[in-house]
Amino acid sequence: MKNSDPHSQPLFQLRQFSFYYQGQEQAVIDQLSLSLFADEITLLMGASGAGKSTLALCLNGLYPEAVEGKTEGVILYQGKPTQAYAKGLLNQKVGIVFQDPESQFCMIRVEDELAFVLENLAVPREDMQAQIQAALELVGMEDYLYHRIHDLSGGQKQKIALASVLLMKPDYLILDEPTANLDPVSRLEFIEVIIKVQKEKQQGILVIEHQAEDWVERADRMVVFNQASQVIIDDQPAKVFANYQDILHAQRIALPPAYLKRQSLPQSSPTAAVPVMEVQQLAFRHRSQSILHDVSFFIYPGELLAILGENGAGKSTLLQLLTRLKQPLEGEITFQQKPLAQWSEYELRQRTGFVFQQPEHQFICDTVYQEITFGMEVNEMPSAYIENRAAALLRLLDLEQHQFQNPFMLSGGQKRRLSVATMLDETPEILFFDEPTYGQDAQTTKELLGIIDNLQQQGTAVVMVTHDMELVAQHCQRAIVLSEGGIVFDGPPCHLWKENQLLDKARLRAPYHERVTQKAATIG
Amino acid sequence: MNQWKLKDIVLLSMLGVVFGLIYLAFFGVGNVLYGLLTPVGLGPLSYELIFGIWFIVSIIAAYIIRKPGVAFASETIAALTEVLVGSTAGPTLILAGMVQGLGAELAFAATKWQDYRLRILLLSGVTAAMVSFPYHYFMSGFAAHASWLVITMFITRMISGALIAGLLGKYIADQLAATGVLSGYPLGKERQQREEQRSA
Amino acid sequence: MIQTINPTIKAVAVLIPGILLSFAFDIVTPLLFLVYLLVLTFFFAAIPWKKWLLFFLPLSIFAMGVAWMTMLYTDESYQTGPVLFQFLWFEVTLGSLQVGVSLALRSLCFITLSLLFALTTDPTKFMLSLMQQVKLSPKITYGILAGYRFLPTFQTELVLIKQAHQIRGVQRAKGFKQKWQHYKQYAIPLLANSIRKAERVAVAMESKGFTGDRHRTFYHALTISLKDWLFLAGMLAALALAYYLSYQLGYLRLIGQ
Ligand SMILES: Nc1ncnc2c1ncn2[C@@H]1O[C@H](COP(=O)(O)OP(=O)(O)OP(=O)(O)O)[C@@H](O)[C@H]1O
Ligand SMILES: Nc1ncnc2c1ncn2[C@@H]1O[C@H](COP(=O)(O)OP(=O)(O)OP(=O)(O)O)[C@@H](O)[C@H]1O
Ligand SMILES: [Mg+2]
Ligand SMILES: [Mg+2]
Repeated sequence: MKNSDPHSQPLFQLRQFSFYYQGQEQAVIDQLSLSLFADEITLLMGASGAGKSTLALCLNGLYPEAVEGKTEGVILYQGKPTQAYAKGLLNQKVGIVFQDPESQFCMIRVEDELAFVLENLAVPREDMQAQIQAALELVGMEDYLYHRIHDLSGGQKQKIALASVLLMKPDYLILDEPTANLDPVSRLEFIEVIIKVQKEKQQGILVIEHQAEDWVERADRMVVFNQASQVIIDDQPAKVFANYQDILHAQRIALPPAYLKRQSLPQSSPTAAVPVMEVQQLAFRHRSQSILHDVSFFIYPGELLAILGENGAGKSTLLQLLTRLKQPLEGEITFQQKPLAQWSEYELRQRTGFVFQQPEHQFICDTVYQEITFGMEVNEMPSAYIENRAAALLRLLDLEQHQFQNPFMLSGGQKRRLSVATMLDETPEILFFDEPTYGQDAQTTKELLGIIDNLQQQGTAVVMVTHDMELVAQHCQRAIVLSEGGIVFDGPPCHLWKENQLLDKARLRAPYHERVTQKAATIG
Repeated sequence: MNQWKLKDIVLLSMLGVVFGLIYLAFFGVGNVLYGLLTPVGLGPLSYELIFGIWFIVSIIAAYIIRKPGVAFASETIAALTEVLVGSTAGPTLILAGMVQGLGAELAFAATKWQDYRLRILLLSGVTAAMVSFPYHYFMSGFAAHASWLVITMFITRMISGALIAGLLGKYIADQLAATGVLSGYPLGKERQQREEQRSA
Repeated sequence: MIQTINPTIKAVAVLIPGILLSFAFDIVTPLLFLVYLLVLTFFFAAIPWKKWLLFFLPLSIFAMGVAWMTMLYTDESYQTGPVLFQFLWFEVTLGSLQVGVSLALRSLCFITLSLLFALTTDPTKFMLSLMQQVKLSPKITYGILAGYRFLPTFQTELVLIKQAHQIRGVQRAKGFKQKWQHYKQYAIPLLANSIRKAERVAVAMESKGFTGDRHRTFYHALTISLKDWLFLAGMLAALALAYYLSYQLGYLRLIGQ
């Protein structure tokens, strides 16, 4: 911590600050006292649902008004209560990248979105073009100036969100899980950009993250929340991870791989020789832009298959093709030896499952409980079974307290879990997950993987898109890498990590222990 | 205008856009009705029967947001959408939208924007019909119609305004409130209070 | 090119003749003006004629309907001249035929004016022009623009809801009652999602430092030049000329005459 000097003035000062959502008796943030300084990077960690995102939105003055919430205590920004600032003024000084970038945009095209920020700051028109160009280059999206934001992939949206906040040149920057949707190399580049900006401007940054790996050495300070958003640890990250592992475990916080022993994957190659799904020479395009071409592979019962690739590689598109949400341009997909197109809708949905990349796309009911029971009701399960199963899922995924809440009003991680839970009502033959574990704390990641493991045992094939290489290394028997619209790798992950050129091309990164061993080998 | 929050404006604009599209679709419905009624000799009544649909956004928006000017603004935006998407009646449609919105606003103004019970919503549909009718009388040349027909058209429009705009509008807004998305707006809050009272 | 005319001026230039035209109940005035509008559309607005016809044709059928209707139900004061023909129990006179055709031509003028505006104007620019030229407040302008942002995304939204229903195994609707249920299942969530989005967009705008005050710069600056005033003057002059010629030829008939 740079600011151990008690005399230096904090930028933010929270005194006994509490926050209640509209109509709720229980405080989400309960009597929080905390100081944040203008020149340090603070890493904030805590269980999913602890109130981290809520705090972020309180800090820049958007809450309580935007959600009609209630507060007690004060947040001082430069010694003055945040609510005393004129509307919008504080937002220009405190920039934020939302947890869900989807809800961060207000224009249709990338260009207009970025220009909107500059207009708000009354930047002269002549300077705008150059600044927009520079910001896009910083995040590596200069080719997307005229694209519609709607058409970008999940990770690309996150990059645009960062670019527009950087344009604001804020005094303080809040990043709420900014890299959750980024491919491993983009993730590292993104962090590098932030560090560079921070060095130049000596700016304060608050980072909210569930994966501390890349931040441990870069952050000056780490703050840990308990379930009521109270600070229970406040120290240098390396010290926190070295000294407080028990507390971290109790607070469901994942240790970076450097602090964990290397786990080897139980090598069980799939025994069944008959694939559940066969994909042959698949091609797909958007208008004239080719997204996928010549994609062929098989999926076997009981395997956990990872689909990897950089942002915009076409992973989500591939899953939508395999679930018949999109129609391929060329090629053939067969499911259980029968062409996908010939399955009746009812049977297909009963035997397959799919979880969207954006959890909200999954929701069709008004409460969490209804979401979970919906599939079972459709399949006319006995009501006793439904109740038991729902109760078990709610407990397992830590959603019990929220069962009567509206799904859209959950925290980011809770939404993700719920969207996965909607597909766990029974045992289908094949399940497709688009990034099922991002935004989860250690405990819920473990529970989710436990459930997936269970399904596998019963013969379900699980296909999972993910950017989390640790997860791939520890749990997947097989990985497929997409790059430039085609498959460039198909095999066990342990072979993938050796192919450095291929990893570079597909913007992937070997997991921590693998990198360490390889480094040791080159030195030795 | 100053008491409008940004989120109120965005919401009423969004509603305007959605219903602008629905309005366009209803021209088709009107044409079908027209085809059905003309052989019976009642062609001119076809549009009047469903005229209430073209006031509905005023009532929905006003019932949800409950601020002065909302009925007027949302209807104007709906008309603007129709023209921009390519509508039948020409640019004067924007003017028509403003007139209809003004008519709907009258009922709420009469209660100083305090009362949003069903009867006021029904009344709003009627005032919208009353104000918009002279406008169409002039613009569409109803002067050339026989007077018994003009009077029948006027009465039909008022009934349609009350039922389709007032009653159906309230029903749709209440259905929306039931999903919980309106908790940040007066209608949602009123609903929440009522539920709390009931459970207390 | 009409595409480059300032949107606000264009709106005025299209609106005023639209209103003034409503006074004429003869055939010649709207006919002359319609000819002028068609010339304008085909020689000065680079609208692909196929696209134009696509909009124009269905709408003009509607205009024919108007004419037919008016003819059958003409007010007594217009039922002048000899009876031309009988249809069921209606008598169509020369006078009522005239009024009918006049109203049809008026509708065609309205349609042509509307297309002239709609097919040559970018909605965003129109709103920006209202802010920059008419001094509409930025809060309202951008609030409305944010609403318009939903227009191109509705289709995607609908697809998403459909996909969600598919994935969740909601069954296809069969009977009429189920279809109605289905409509509700789509319509209410679609609206609810849009409301949610609207709320979030408002928050997003504020998070990007939007205050709603007038002190801001413009990325797309819109101006009014001589060309725009000439366009407006041209429209008004053309209408005046149509009235004048009709009067000179002895055809002019105004409302209530
Ligand atoms: N709009 C809302 N209305 C009511 N309750 C909400 C709302 N948003 C969040 N909550 C609840 O407040 C709590 C804290 O949410 P928050 O989003 O701050 O969590 P978080 O720490 O960011 O979690 P995550 O790591 O999953 O993103 C959660 O239990 C959530 O269900
Ligand atoms: N509706 C659309 N119109 C045009 N292009 C699209 C559309 N949807 C997706 N794309 C493009 O298709 C490509 C693949 O998108 P996809 O969402 O499949 O990527 P992804 O591999 O899932 O990326 P991420 O890891 O960021 O989620 C991207 O370049 C994206 O910009
Ligand atoms: Mg969060
Ligand atoms: Mg994706």
